Amino acid sequence: MTKPKVASDWLAGCSGCHMSLLDMDERLLDIIDLVDLRATPITDLKHPDKDGVDVGILEGGINNSANLAVAKMMRERCKILVALGDCAVFGGVPAMRNFFDLDETVRYVYTQTMSMDKEAIVPKDPELAVPQRVQALSEVIKVDVFVPGCPPSPDAIYHVLSELAQGRLPNLTGNLLDWH
Amino acid sequence: MVHLTIDGKHIEVPEGTTVLRAAQQAGIHIPTLCDHPHLTPYGGCRLCLVDVKGARTLQPSCTLPATEGLEVTTVNEQISDARKFVLSMIFSERNHFCPYCQVSGGDCELQNAAYEQGMTHWMIQPNWNTYKVDASNPYFSYEANRCILCRRCVRTCQELVGNFTLGVEQRGAASILVADLGVPLGESTCVSCGMCVQNCPTGAMMDRRAAYRGLSADAETIKTICTGCSVGCGIEVTIRDNNIIAINGDYDSPVNQGVICKIGRWQSLEAMDSGVAVKTPMIRKNGELVSASWEEALAFASKAIDTTRQSLAALASSSLSVETLYAFKKLFVDGLAIQSVSASEMGKYTNAQKSLAVTNGVFEGHLSALNNADCVVTIGEDLIHQHEVVGFMIKRNLPKGTALICVDTDGSAYGNLPNSVIKINPGTEQQLVKGLIAGMVKLGVKSCACDGCKNPDQVVQDAANATGVESTLILDAAYILGNAQSPVIVYGSTVTSDVDASTLTTIKCLSDMISAEMISVKGNANSVASAQFGLDQPVDMHTAKAAVIVLGDKQPCDELLNAVSKVNTKIVFSAYQNALVETADVVFPVNNWAEEEGHFINMDGTVQKRSQILAANGQGKASAQAIHDLAAQLGFSIDDHWMEALQSTPASVTIA
Repeated sequence: MTKPKVASDWLAGCSGCHMSLLDMDERLLDIIDLVDLRATPITDLKHPDKDGVDVGILEGGINNSANLAVAKMMRERCKILVALGDCAVFGGVPAMRNFFDLDETVRYVYTQTMSMDKEAIVPKDPELAVPQRVQALSEVIKVDVFVPGCPPSPDAIYHVLSELAQGRLPNLTGNLLDWH
Repeated sequence: MVHLTIDGKHIEVPEGTTVLRAAQQAGIHIPTLCDHPHLTPYGGCRLCLVDVKGARTLQPSCTLPATEGLEVTTVNEQISDARKFVLSMIFSERNHFCPYCQVSGGDCELQNAAYEQGMTHWMIQPNWNTYKVDASNPYFSYEANRCILCRRCVRTCQELVGNFTLGVEQRGAASILVADLGVPLGESTCVSCGMCVQNCPTGAMMDRRAAYRGLSADAETIKTICTGCSVGCGIEVTIRDNNIIAINGDYDSPVNQGVICKIGRWQSLEAMDSGVAVKTPMIRKNGELVSASWEEALAFASKAIDTTRQSLAALASSSLSVETLYAFKKLFVDGLAIQSVSASEMGKYTNAQKSLAVTNGVFEGHLSALNNADCVVTIGEDLIHQHEVVGFMIKRNLPKGTALICVDTDGSAYGNLPNSVIKINPGTEQQLVKGLIAGMVKLGVKSCACDGCKNPDQVVQDAANATGVESTLILDAAYILGNAQSPVIVYGSTVTSDVDASTLTTIKCLSDMISAEMISVKGNANSVASAQFGLDQPVDMHTAKAAVIVLGDKQPCDELLNAVSKVNTKIVFSAYQNALVETADVVFPVNNWAEEEGHFINMDGTVQKRSQILAANGQGKASAQAIHDLAAQLGFSIDDHWMEALQSTPASVTIA
């Protein structure tokens, strides 16, 4: 039996969910035995295989055009998409900015915060991604497995990955289900 | 009784029981949000939907009365889907992102409800509306963005506290909680009892001191009593790492049935947070207070007491435990035979009852009588600002038609209540009560054979003249009172301070005539015990050469500071630094209310135990122990037969 291929990426998050993934410690070795870990932000491969992976994991919500492109690429290239963490599932902490006007928020963070001097300007290079209102993954792409938590506990991530590796859809209950 | 089936289980409940309560009594769990066991059903959240055989749609079990033959199912896929949808709708309405909130992680009923339904996400994103936070109250904030409009706070304010401050403005998704007619909470009629905070299912009502200091799961909760006044409310204290996080009312307490006031919930902690503890015993040497050992301080104090025994005065706070007051009495009254010994209130709240109890025995009822009263007369006590919980118990019954007659020299405290305020001239309570008695006779609603009632017209006219109250108002009040089925008379210090009990005797006469329950508020937490131990005599501290003052964790009042300003030698037992400690000659560090256990006799005569909540720091001792140590130094040993001592003197309430 070939091992299922797994890829991951992070969007508008803090990378904490990936840190929580690493936090499962020696159990990572069990996971590596079960799956073929492909592109992740913390390995050398940076994009999921063109011919597809079995499981795609996304941390973070979508807060600009670049995130949107990455999310859509992952969706196209994976069979089962996992939204990992509160930002991917709900929008999370970045979504707090949705309670404010977007243009005003961008202007404020680039020119008004404590670390900015008087010459600070809002960058306008066309190469840059275009900010948008923060969206949960499920607002943009189909999500198959939701793993809430800020971050999800290593136990929850281990449960999800081991279930998926063995061909089952995970069911989060009890202590593994935590939105915070 | 009606019979119904819930999940196949046959249940028998009294008529009028809701399906939700019937299920709960049978041990069947139905998830709820807007429901609260001590509030009337509201049917707002729809989480408790159940399937009723023959019904067209799912029914909210909290408002559905159980009827004969009803067949109810609480778990199936349709119900589960409906509950998830209901929760998704609630989540989408405001800002319910859990990681930002102080109750996330076990203390949020909304989050727990979502977990219970196995929700890993919500189906609908929030609408991103924002609402202002009301942080104008010093003790709690209202975070409208986390509000789920369950109206528990509104019902709590009405049904438990009787304050009617909170209400909901607008309709549908625009609904918003408001105080009064839309003013900030801090400027409203809110009395900061915090019952709304205690009953809020989410993080919307935020206890400013407790927020982010730990969740229930991290903390321990201990049941004890509040000793802020003579009501003796049951409280639940949540502690973590030897710190008090929060205090809540104890719904299991028969005294207050869960309701507490701002003193019990917040101000008792404020005093603890701001107080600077006395850490070691101190002795005045060369004009300076310096640290000393307990042995040195006890030796110093006992020498000072021995040499000034003829002109010594001793005063203890009537907020101290029975054990402390008993030791204090045994040492200074029985042991040292000092004349000038008393407790801080000097009988202000107990004199009259104690006098009348000598001939009448127990004649006062329990606070719980207020729950069923159809007419309440208050005489000489502002129950809106003092003994607030008693006021809550009265005010919350007013919408049910309970008549309130307030006899007061000021009357302003009761000004905004929808009932009779009888504003009398100072010192004319007795004349007014006589007027009420005669008024009932005149109107023919009651009869009386005593001499005073032979000419009721004259008595009513005399009462009107003396009190400055229109005779028609006295007659109106007499009519209401005379027709009441279960009247209660509550009186306070203007009646109780009188050793001759003249006004109280007249009130007793009125009470017998209409079969009313009599209740008196009794000042501090242990005023009854102080009086039973005879610590209720007036004491003139001005003439004393030396004074022993046991403050416990209380601050000295200006009156006390003035009285002892000329006293040469001052021996003070205090938990905190204060103006009296600064001028003392010997200071003994004692524990504060949370650090020592002890018993308290509340205004009903109920003996209640206060538990030790926190471990004491430093060299402070329990107040009772400190007095035992001083007694031992002076060659006395003190027994612990305080219960016998309490019951050896007639009291107006049953002490048990």
